[in-house]
Amino acid sequence: MRAVLALALCLAAASAGAAEKRLYPSGPPHGVAYLRFANLSPEPVKIRSAAAELALPAAGAARVGEYDPVTPGEALTGIVELAGKTRPLQVTLAPNEFVTVAIGGSAGAGPEITLLREVPSDFDALKSALALYNLDKECAAARLVAADGKIEVIAGVAPDKTGRRLVNPVAATLAVACGSGTPVPVELGRMAAGERYSVFLYAASDSRPQVLALRDEMAPFRP
Amino acid sequence: MNALLAGLAILVIGDSHMVTRDYLITTLHDELVAQGATVSSYGMCGTNAGDWVYKSTVSCGRAERHGKAAPQIDRQPRAPGWTIDELIAANHPNLVVVEIGDTMAGYGQKDFPQAWIYGEVRALTQKIAAHQLQCVWVGPPWGNEGSSYHKTFERVKQMSDFLSRSVAPCLYIDSTQFSKPGEWPTIDGQHLTASGYRAWGKDIAAALDGLVSQGRIKK
Repeated sequence: MRAVLALALCLAAASAGAAEKRLYPSGPPHGVAYLRFANLSPEPVKIRSAAAELALPAAGAARVGEYDPVTPGEALTGIVELAGKTRPLQVTLAPNEFVTVAIGGSAGAGPEITLLREVPSDFDALKSALALYNLDKECAAARLVAADGKIEVIAGVAPDKTGRRLVNPVAATLAVACGSGTPVPVELGRMAAGERYSVFLYAASDSRPQVLALRDEMAPFRP
Repeated sequence: MNALLAGLAILVIGDSHMVTRDYLITTLHDELVAQGATVSSYGMCGTNAGDWVYKSTVSCGRAERHGKAAPQIDRQPRAPGWTIDELIAANHPNLVVVEIGDTMAGYGQKDFPQAWIYGEVRALTQKIAAHQLQCVWVGPPWGNEGSSYHKTFERVKQMSDFLSRSVAPCLYIDSTQFSKPGEWPTIDGQHLTASGYRAWGKDIAAALDGLVSQGRIKK
């Protein structure tokens, strides 16, 4: 699958059938960093850079884009739009850094932007890499647990933080728990060796905890 | 001569270590043929793993060799690259050997580009796996320090260790186990002398023999 960012709608000036465009230039082969966007709001959002526009729906796995290679050390700027309200985006990535731009908010309040930053070192083709992103400000310490609740896979993830762990590639039944509340099931399916997975905990518009789980996709670096 | 590799149709692909006469396209290829394998070898200078997945252009030479024929070396500055899909379709291998490491290690770069390397390696190993082919990945040799390639023993070790964790389901051959750091002389810090390529080719073939004997490579 071509890079999700490259699936972005072209700018209004672009004619139909124009080549797919990326929000930001691909990084150099050495020292590359990776950037993706996740729409966790109840509304569709758009992200505009000087080069292109990316639309993320409000439902389904397409809410989270692929990690796109970008140039580290360069300020990447853009505009995030939700229900006609906008917020500026500026982020500079370090070499090897992975940044998820999580977009929350509502039609009334407009977009909220949270940057989730990490420099992962857990690449392993025999294991599955699991990450828990806590974007629920009401949850002080999110946990990823086996569905029976007895085994903690990842624990103590504070709001706007990430927990990460390598696990055996199995079809595990998982849930996200917070305090004494009812765990929210995670639909991840069978994990594959060498693949990386993200579990997002966020609050729905009525403040109920919600979970979105998916396999990470990395767009290839190509000049 | 033994016939330990008889029954194997081996496709060897690699970087610049495969693109000059007397490099691995001669020494490793000859060793495998001598042990009974059917062998096709291809080299694309300066290529990363992903260049064998996504169509690329080769700027510093490419080479191919089939069976007992001589290597065909093409030094045109903008030669079209081969993809692994094309080569598998053309050669029908039952084993793919990948020799790529030095081009991706980020020699001279402060930060080891592990995320990018992992993505490149996965792109190729998953493509090979999609053909349901067994594969072996050969890591880089020590080379020499202090050259314009900025190769260091520390980074070679880091790269080799990282590849060993990244190439599954391919098996991994750790070339740093074949010599001591700096033991094999080079012409430029990265490319070995003829005697070095003879030793490296022989050692890789011996490692493949071992994997066959252990039943980890099936004929």
